[in-house]
Amino acid sequence: MRANRYGRAALALGFGALASSLFALGPGSGGQADFVEIRGAGLVVILLLGACAVVGGVLGNRVIVIIAGAGFAVAAAIQLVQFGRPTNWLAGDGSTFALLLGLAVGLVAVGTARWEQSSREKRTSEGEPDRAT
Amino acid sequence: MTTIGPSEPSVADTRLARLAVAAIRIGVGFVWIQNAAWKTPPDFGENTRSGLYFFTRFAVDRPVFGPYAWLVEHVVLPNFAFFGWVTLFAEAGLGAFLLVGLATRLWAVIGIGQSLAITLAALNAPNEWHWSYYLLILAHFALFATAAGRSFGVDGVLRPAWRASSSLPARILLRLS
Repeated sequence: MRANRYGRAALALGFGALASSLFALGPGSGGQADFVEIRGAGLVVILLLGACAVVGGVLGNRVIVIIAGAGFAVAAAIQLVQFGRPTNWLAGDGSTFALLLGLAVGLVAVGTARWEQSSREKRTSEGEPDRAT
Repeated sequence: MTTIGPSEPSVADTRLARLAVAAIRIGVGFVWIQNAAWKTPPDFGENTRSGLYFFTRFAVDRPVFGPYAWLVEHVVLPNFAFFGWVTLFAEAGLGAFLLVGLATRLWAVIGIGQSLAITLAALNAPNEWHWSYYLLILAHFALFATAAGRSFGVDGVLRPAWRASSSLPARILLRLS
């Protein structure tokens, strides 16, 4: 199935999540080029949910995209509650929370949009410039 | 007669320019994401005089603007945990929304405000480069001016649907993007 632009957006967000796992190779969010703290269970969560978003995007299945976004939202909430405390399941900090939050809002926003474009919407997205006005 | 200006095509519409705008948006997003890392609850450094508390105190110890120093001394520092949470949510939100390009113009304005607050607190702190603060403010002006979420961001994907919809949330998001 050929993904529409919503599916492509979910695909991009999913690949972004997978790419962010590269930060796990660095020394931690205090490093100059290591922008996000990704470790342990947090890394597993990002890889699994990122793959889920990619699958949703490839299949053009908005339910899978919403599930991935909701998963990131739950992970962000867990990280927010636990970081700076002795119990930290995702082994992250504020940077991890911010990344998870971004992926959550992005995927939920894309997933909950109407994926079947109306004729008016098609006209707007293809024929009219969207200038910064 | 040859005219200069309105008849010239804008380079902002080219793919290369849109890629550059997206790179700036994502880069600024990572500025906030990385700096959310050391805003650590629940005390945000108050008990150890470190972290966010340490830097916020510069507003009082090395004041940049008198009324702001008074505000920090008499309102912010006595209620520091609350303002710590506000700072964390603002900066994590900036990182999150700028990274994916959702409601980007709203967050660009919030970024200008937060950058200004940081500037007024830390501009006179030792070993700081003053232009880093000015550039942070200017970067958010650029994100606002270019509506950066429309370039390879979620705003760009969803704006046609928001424009086609007559619902209040869609109209609000259209304005904020």
